[in-house]
Amino acid sequence: MLAIYKKELRSYFTTMIGFIYAAIFLVIVGIYFMAYNLNGQYAKFEYTVSAIEFLYIVLIPILTMRLVAEENKQKTDQLLLTSPISITKMVLGKYFAAVTMYLAPVVIMCFYPLIIAKYASVSFGPYYATAYSCIFGFIMLAAAYIALGLFISAITENQVIALIITAIAVFISYIMPGIESMLPTDNQSSWLILSLLVVVICLILYLSIHNITMTMIIGVVAEVALMFVYLLKPSFYDGLVTKVLDVFSISEKFSNFSAGILDINAIIYFLSVAVMFILITIQVIKKRRWS
Amino acid sequence: MIEVKNLVKRYGSFCAVDDLSFTVEKGEIVGLLGPNGAGKSTTMNMITGYISSTEGTVEIDGYDIFDDAEEAKQHIGYLPEQPPLYMDMKVCEYLEFVAELKKVKKSERAKMIEKIMEDTMLTDMKNRLIRHLSKGYKQRVGIAGALIGYPDVIILDEPTVGLDPKQIIEIRDLIKKLAKKHTVILSSHILSEVSAVCDRVIIINKGKLIVDDTPEKLAEHARFASGIKLVVKGDKGNIIGALSDVPSVVDVSVDKEENGFVFVTVCGKDKEEIREDVFFKLAEEKMPIYTMEKMTFTLEDIFLELTKEEEKEAV
Repeated sequence: MLAIYKKELRSYFTTMIGFIYAAIFLVIVGIYFMAYNLNGQYAKFEYTVSAIEFLYIVLIPILTMRLVAEENKQKTDQLLLTSPISITKMVLGKYFAAVTMYLAPVVIMCFYPLIIAKYASVSFGPYYATAYSCIFGFIMLAAAYIALGLFISAITENQVIALIITAIAVFISYIMPGIESMLPTDNQSSWLILSLLVVVICLILYLSIHNITMTMIIGVVAEVALMFVYLLKPSFYDGLVTKVLDVFSISEKFSNFSAGILDINAIIYFLSVAVMFILITIQVIKKRRWS
Repeated sequence: MIEVKNLVKRYGSFCAVDDLSFTVEKGEIVGLLGPNGAGKSTTMNMITGYISSTEGTVEIDGYDIFDDAEEAKQHIGYLPEQPPLYMDMKVCEYLEFVAELKKVKKSERAKMIEKIMEDTMLTDMKNRLIRHLSKGYKQRVGIAGALIGYPDVIILDEPTVGLDPKQIIEIRDLIKKLAKKHTVILSSHILSEVSAVCDRVIIINKGKLIVDDTPEKLAEHARFASGIKLVVKGDKGNIIGALSDVPSVVDVSVDKEENGFVFVTVCGKDKEEIREDVFFKLAEEKMPIYTMEKMTFTLEDIFLELTKEEEKEAV
């Protein structure tokens, strides 16, 4: 695991990707810090952090696109999979390397609240608590997104495609609250939308496991179940779409942190998302050997 | 050392490897031979655990490649068809990484890498980026990677592809040297290479095992093993009739007819000597033999013959 970790971390710097990532991150954070905290004279760093959340749409794909896709393309996965190292360790090594790379500029960002504190008259206890709990939430959010990106990188052989799909996925999760507010909440349209969602999920499932029978079975079972529930208890669907879509809205969970709240629910949610995507990634790589 | 039992790999309805079984003993060099698409790489990928088999098992030193994957893989060094190289690493960095992956002790690492770079003649290229190396050098880095950790079993998929003649000889010598301590399986579609290095040859075609024998004995498996070529004066029909009457003759074919001379190829059963029988029979029938020549087979002929035969059967 350490071997893979070191190799991945080093490749961020030999391929420039690490530098590009850190540069974009620091420039944008710097601009927002200037605008909000220095020029705006506003002693709340959490506002800056929540304002730059959109950066993940660009940064996460940059960090994760090569992780597995490049191995698949260069056939170096043949070396890794025939070495005495388990796939779990290999995936974890890659994941932690990406997280470490992610953290490098964040460490620099951690100095900004100190700069504010030096010039602002704030009560230090609550001030530091809110600023750093917000940064902590920001990191956890990234931990979930990086696992998502790792998974997307594992299902393709092309890093450009991985980049685009990851960006779209992060973007959708980012605008999800907006989408939710536009959707109808009555039970019939909820049912229809959910059926459509099942089809989409099955499509993604098929792309990752390439097993038509399995996908069909899961899809049909889910659709039939949805129909039965609708016939038996239509009220179940009231406002359900928003509830379901809320699960996919990873970035929505971050909103409490930007209000200065250390949200334990959200932390558990982020960790679960990370663990889930890491597990699926392991399965996807295992599955490929069987096809 | 390596035990392959009833190995099958199916891709949908296409059968890439069909019920392959063989064992390789410690210290042997085995050549896996077959035309393109015969299933050599697929077989090797299954032996090394890169892909799963549809049916059958592979055991390395008593460890199943799937159930005890980590122990089994500890014993394998593998050079796939396309060397698995990281283009943005230097040669020494790459070998360092492979050594770490293969769990070579830190204290032995530097020395081992040094030694392997010497063996594969890479010492001069040590600090070059792999992406800047020529194909032959890349191949050698791949071979060096397979040797790291000195695993008991070394599996090389077409190891000499892309090398110049001098390097080919050097790599062959290296492989021979390795065989003293290691078990080696190498694949190739070049026969001379296999006969130069290997103790044993396994020929596969369309995923099926055709022959498993030493290079010297390969000839016996060919159908025309005891064939002779004749030039006989006389009528074509009569000659064929007469030759077909000889009990030890199995197959008669006319190559061409020229100025009253008939050029025939005659084959006997197994290794039986048919020259005398043919001579007396034709003498009896008053058909003079002008030339009689025992057919000599190069390995290429045998190989072509064996793989062709299989196709005929399939048709």
